[in-house]
Amino acid sequence: MKPAEIQLLEAMKISTMFLPLCWIAALMMTASLSAEPAMRDVATHDQLSERLRVANNKGPLVDLKPAQGPDPTKASTGGDLISRSDFLSYVGRATLVPKRAILHIPANMADRIKLQPGSKIQNWADFYAMNRSWITTVEVSRAQAEGKESLGEDLLKRIQKSTNVIVATHSAGPISVLPLKVPVQAPVATTTTSKP
Amino acid sequence: MKTTGLLFSILLAITPGAQAQTNGGYTNFIRQIQLPSGVEKDMTNLEAAGTQDSALAINPGGARFELHSVNTVTATPYLLVSQYVASYVPTVDLVITSEDPYDIVPRTRADRPFYVKTSVTGLLSGATDPEAAKKVNFLRHVQSYGEGGTGVGIDTTQATLLSQSYIESSAVAPLPTVATMTFAINAVPGADRAKIRGEERFSVFSLADERIEEESGQKYSAPAAQLASQRIQIWPVADGALTGITAGQLIRFKMPPVTVTLNDLYPDSHTYVQVYKGPAQLGMTGKKIPESRIIMDSTPQDEVFTLTNYDSVFGEDGEWTMELVTKTPFGLDRLAHVTFNLDLTLQMNGSVTTIDN
Repeated sequence: MKPAEIQLLEAMKISTMFLPLCWIAALMMTASLSAEPAMRDVATHDQLSERLRVANNKGPLVDLKPAQGPDPTKASTGGDLISRSDFLSYVGRATLVPKRAILHIPANMADRIKLQPGSKIQNWADFYAMNRSWITTVEVSRAQAEGKESLGEDLLKRIQKSTNVIVATHSAGPISVLPLKVPVQAPVATTTTSKP
Repeated sequence: MKTTGLLFSILLAITPGAQAQTNGGYTNFIRQIQLPSGVEKDMTNLEAAGTQDSALAINPGGARFELHSVNTVTATPYLLVSQYVASYVPTVDLVITSEDPYDIVPRTRADRPFYVKTSVTGLLSGATDPEAAKKVNFLRHVQSYGEGGTGVGIDTTQATLLSQSYIESSAVAPLPTVATMTFAINAVPGADRAKIRGEERFSVFSLADERIEEESGQKYSAPAAQLASQRIQIWPVADGALTGITAGQLIRFKMPPVTVTLNDLYPDSHTYVQVYKGPAQLGMTGKKIPESRIIMDSTPQDEVFTLTNYDSVFGEDGEWTMELVTKTPFGLDRLAHVTFNLDLTLQMNGSVTTIDN
């Protein structure tokens, strides 16, 4: 026990009338006794190099079973939201949709498929509600979006002839449509007949 | 796994972007990325908080949901949170702490330890369970900011993978599923270990896996997906110099100006010059010269200032020591010191004579 605390206890025996004062005094004494944290000279490169060498030999990971394979963080996530999106802009408003969600752009509307300076970004639902006159949506299935099923000849023809911008949606949300995967055909077995 | 919609919830109300949304500064987007196909879809009719079914079924490859806030004027996107969802994915919490209580981004100094706490739940241990359900990959990356760098705008894909290890469900695994690891010192590369500027990043990934959809029998390749990640910034050890007085110098009549040069003062530090009588002794508490520098920033700072007219702190002549000290969350560090002899007393030598007539 620190001398200051012993003195404090003795003081308390004398009279409890001064308990609040003693308590305050104790706090002040304790505060004065608690020294500043220990001072040291700043660490040097040599000291830290040695510490790192020791840590490398006895760090928390050295006993773990090392994992195999390439660095998974290097696998591309495709970039940020903007690089993975296309903008639609019109009269000071803009929104973004996943790349490959815009299926058709009439030549006279090409300048609307970019972020026009000064446009205020809206969500898709609000932007579409204000621009139905020149945007048409086409609902696609998951298989169509994944490129496993064709959109169908009729729909593709209507898309190509449309004077509106066509955006693919799934449950009303813009969705990318991957190129149709052409099934790999098994090599045709060829038979050769040799003349006897 | 059933190919039905998965209930997915996002608590927008807790995100800064969502708060900004209320004043019209940001627009939120939730982007769903199907794996491994890469099909991307935006969810619509977002509320500030609540749940929404995923319109796209989550196939065995899983899906990643990203919550972005886009500035409505500049169109700058901010990825607020990313969550990978699949048929069996452990839940991981990863927290990095240090002696510095700053809680915006964990940070510490190049000579100090830090602590990584991991908590993994949901790992399976059955003999027939796939490997991806029994273990996760714990990765340690390091990246230097370069000389004078602050880390703003760095390309994190350029970080160096220092190690990757398995966290397993097995009872004999050396790392339990809940563990706090102490790293005595950082391993960010740098020629001068005292002047490291950079960051260490710890992350947990699921294992890449081949999965078969029960209904269709179709095979899916589920890529390794990030389950948790956090970084800690490492800032250099400060250094400093006192110029204007040399060791052992005899100073008479008036203290000379002293230039104080400070480099890499730690964010949230208090640096001052103190003097005390006698030779240099580590740990002494002296009289502070009232020219202190207080740094309250997020990156290290450099300072240069000059002490003038500070004779009043010296009470008497004799041997004195001047020290440059910085106080940080890690304690007190002496950056420089000089001991000199002081003789400020003005002595007048002369004689008095009288003339008697």
